[in-house]
Amino acid sequence: MSSWRSLILRIGEKSSEYGGVIDFKDHIDACFGAVRRELDHSEDEILTFLLQCSEQLPHKIPLYGTLIGLLNLENEDFVKKIVESTQKSLQDALDTGDCNKIRVSMRFLTVLMCSKVIQPSSLVVIFETLLSSAATIVDDEKGNPSWQARADFFITCILSCLPWGGSELVEQIPEEIERVMVGIEAYLSIRRHVSDVGLSVFEDINKINKLHVEQDFVEDLWSRIQDLSKNSWKLESVPRPHLLYEAQLVAGKSHDFGPIICQEQSDTPVELSRLNFGRQKHEAELKYPQRIRRLNIFSASKFEDLQPIDRFVVEEYLLDVLFYLNGCRKEFAACMVGLPVPFRYEYLMAETIFSQLLLLPQPPFKPMYYTLVIIDLCKSLPGAFPAVVAGAVRALFDRISELDMECRTRLILWFSHHLSNFQFIWPWEEWAYVLELPKWAPQRVFVQEVLDREVRLSYWDKVKQSIESTPALEELLPPKGGPDFRYSSDDGDKTEYTLSKELNSMVKGRKTARDVIIWLEESVTPINGLDVSLRVVVQTLLDIGSKSFTHLITVLERYGQVIAKICPNEETQIMLISEVSSFWKNSAQTTAITIDRMMGYRLISNLAIVKWVFSPSNIDLFHITDRLWEILINALNKTHNRISDLRKEISHLKKSVVKAEQIAATAKAELDNAENKLMLVDGEPVVGENPARMKRLKSNAEKTKENEVTTRESLESKEALFERALEENEALFLSLYKNFSTVLMERLHETFGEKTLDHVGGDSEAMAVDEEDTSAMDMDKENGNSKSNVGYTIGEKEQWCLSTLGYVKAFSRQYASEIWPHMVKLEEEVVTESVHPLFRKAVYSGLRLHADQ
Amino acid sequence: MALLFKDPNKISAYRDRRFPGTQEEYENALQTSTTVYIGNMSFYTTEEQLYELFSRAGEIKKIVMGLDKNTKTPCGFCFVMYYSREDTEDAVKYISGTILDDRPIRVDFDWGFQDGRQWGRGRSGGQVRDEYRTDYDPDILLCGYGKLVQQELEEQRQVVDYGVGSLGSFQPSHMSHNCEFMTCLFNDLNSSSLCTFADFLVLQMEDMEEEEEVVVVMVMGGPTDMVEEEKNPRFREHGDSDDEEDDRKRQK
Repeated sequence: MSSWRSLILRIGEKSSEYGGVIDFKDHIDACFGAVRRELDHSEDEILTFLLQCSEQLPHKIPLYGTLIGLLNLENEDFVKKIVESTQKSLQDALDTGDCNKIRVSMRFLTVLMCSKVIQPSSLVVIFETLLSSAATIVDDEKGNPSWQARADFFITCILSCLPWGGSELVEQIPEEIERVMVGIEAYLSIRRHVSDVGLSVFEDINKINKLHVEQDFVEDLWSRIQDLSKNSWKLESVPRPHLLYEAQLVAGKSHDFGPIICQEQSDTPVELSRLNFGRQKHEAELKYPQRIRRLNIFSASKFEDLQPIDRFVVEEYLLDVLFYLNGCRKEFAACMVGLPVPFRYEYLMAETIFSQLLLLPQPPFKPMYYTLVIIDLCKSLPGAFPAVVAGAVRALFDRISELDMECRTRLILWFSHHLSNFQFIWPWEEWAYVLELPKWAPQRVFVQEVLDREVRLSYWDKVKQSIESTPALEELLPPKGGPDFRYSSDDGDKTEYTLSKELNSMVKGRKTARDVIIWLEESVTPINGLDVSLRVVVQTLLDIGSKSFTHLITVLERYGQVIAKICPNEETQIMLISEVSSFWKNSAQTTAITIDRMMGYRLISNLAIVKWVFSPSNIDLFHITDRLWEILINALNKTHNRISDLRKEISHLKKSVVKAEQIAATAKAELDNAENKLMLVDGEPVVGENPARMKRLKSNAEKTKENEVTTRESLESKEALFERALEENEALFLSLYKNFSTVLMERLHETFGEKTLDHVGGDSEAMAVDEEDTSAMDMDKENGNSKSNVGYTIGEKEQWCLSTLGYVKAFSRQYASEIWPHMVKLEEEVVTESVHPLFRKAVYSGLRLHADQ
Repeated sequence: MALLFKDPNKISAYRDRRFPGTQEEYENALQTSTTVYIGNMSFYTTEEQLYELFSRAGEIKKIVMGLDKNTKTPCGFCFVMYYSREDTEDAVKYISGTILDDRPIRVDFDWGFQDGRQWGRGRSGGQVRDEYRTDYDPDILLCGYGKLVQQELEEQRQVVDYGVGSLGSFQPSHMSHNCEFMTCLFNDLNSSSLCTFADFLVLQMEDMEEEEEVVVVMVMGGPTDMVEEEKNPRFREHGDSDDEEDDRKRQK
């Protein structure tokens, strides 16, 4: 790396390039000197690299801005190009909806304004463009309020610029910025308050007297900016290196910034039905997601005297580093711990990372990324960070009964994985009290599931050793044993034992699946019945495949047809699943894997899995173990993955068809052209160069046409598969919700009583749901549900309902995009007027479909 | 994303000399592969542990354990195959250098199996690509009593012996015969890609130091299956055109 490069890259860091000392003035001087020297030789490279750095290391933008301001004094043309390409990339980002790029570009422009590179009024023009677009979107008549997420995002972008340049704007163009602020205030008065019920990490079951409505993200940011303005726009978290060069920078020439256009929301139907509105809102929120939802798990004292706006800025820094440095572990950790702020922020860092890990509906990256992030930060700050992480775990554990089910699962997966990287060391004695809680208490289930995941990642004895300080917790460890093979000894049914032995030796003797099928059909089933055949085959094959995942696959690939033959329908497939579950009763993991693979080989349908999960003996386990939920989630995921694959293939094939058409058309045109020429010279003996060429052109035209046809055919066949997959999906979700509705109906009524029913009739939906909510809370109150750790007193039935409803909400939220296309049918057939309001509330809040729409 | 700190075109410093193509083709193979190589594993680590860890990056298609040729037991490395490229990249990004069974494992893109690669010459077991070993020696983390306990626990564990049992008794010589027979059978049943075998195939790999690393790997599926890897759907689909294509090829 040449030196100007590393100076630009490392500016503001304690690095060898800068002698290991951080002094902004020295850094800027040194970097400026090096860049100025090279500017004539490598202008283009410098331009590209500088823009790349300001985008991907946005916490350093003030330094890059000042550097560019100084370069502006030397080489106006170069800086003009910087401004132009920023304008272009902002416009591109707006066109494609690239949220991170829009936000960072605007911050960059704000800082360029501070360094006199662009006029403050140019910045205001951008603000006003976004503001007016936002105001139009939420306007009932001209716009499409279902896309409020986009409008909110634009407003957030404007407000986010102010910590970096608010003071300059107010000083230089007070009236214009005031006009923007008034405009934002007006926007805030017409937009709808965003209720986060479906996306909040904690369910507010304990907030009985929730009088004040919490601010949503935009309102919150607005009030932070108000505070900042009251504090004369002073804050600690944004470095202002341009002030060091104020005297020089004023001499710089300000460049014009071309206009920015916000495309109108194309989809603006005249009247939006409730469902249509909900569906579009869902789409908008996917495209313009809220970046963070604060967890507030640490007490305020942990954040010292941080101004509200400083907290916001540091969160922005952390989220940017998490986003832009994904995949570069070393650089990531260095940036995270070396932000340009004069205060400590470990707690804020931990809270921000956990807020991402638990962000609903989806974090920006796979949850596993945050495991790595936390591991790396624990290694970078061994003295400070591990304790903060432990504090976060304790805080989350204390509120585990309020935690959203999806978040709870993510927390279990993260925590077990995290501990496996740190020798499974945890002060388990702190949580020994869970043993005194009923087996459905969320705290207890959490410990049990973490231990189960630890065993999966390691091995039983190792985990046993890790809980040595609290041996009683062994009660919560999964069973140690391996498979439970029915015919491991001849104590039981002698006939079945013998048949199993026979089958085993057939496999050993390399008999084919067809041989086995013939054996079953001729000499087993007619005598012993189908039940026995099924049991013997499944138990024996599972035993043969029990040694490892690969053994299982091998046996399924070789003898899957035998299973398919005896389990051709839903009923027998449910028996098959039960047999798997009993064979692997000691291992939740292997049960799940086996069922998953069987579904992969189409030996089991997803509908059979749903039906089995909701079979009477399983329902009773919903609140005390995650194993059934894991199986259900796998089945939904696999179906979803398959549909996603088909979508990708179809979109790929569509492009191929267009390409093939073009190629075929070109070949055809070439051929036609050549044929025409031939005709023109007809009469003359033209043998010369043409026959070979004609032949080639002809064959080329045929070949390309053929290719076009084949590509189109494969597109058609994929589309047909996709159609079928959609139908299967509809059947799957209808069945899922029907089952949920059925099992919940009776229990909800039993548990939450007649009181609920009294309020349902006559009222608007919103009222019914709200009052239902209150009655559920009263119930908790009656049961003496206090927030203390140990005082868990929720009854078994209530917990069963809460857990199951939690999953209804989590599934609805996670598969919302797949569910929306079937919503009309779902409302007609399942989520009807007669369902329990709590069930409806869970479905709707998961889909973010609110009763007030 | 994060283009500043890594050259996306250089995703592996290793060059497998067995790769039958140019450097460019090799890099292209790595950039499109959905297979990862995992090294520096404990010999005791099971496929189920791998499944638990690696399925957190995405749906797993297959796991191929690296086995010691002589003992038919795991020897510290394996391959995990995913369905999607994105998941493969995430596995490399998020798992490499983290701990599995008290060892920092190494995860790299692998160029994937191709017909012929598995037929190598064999000499010794063991793995070579373990650059993390010096960085994070587990022995440094675990000293004194901890180490003793660790050893004691490890000794109680059993390695999976892939060489015995009903499935391991198939001989390679029966392979082609069985393959044809089963293809016909499955054609009747309209789901032909179930034609696969457990078999012990000798796999040879070479690393940068040009040291020969010879291993025996239990491979699921015959060579044909591996060439068609990309087409392997998450589900076996009755009447899926890909499968039919495969059938035709197999029957030829």
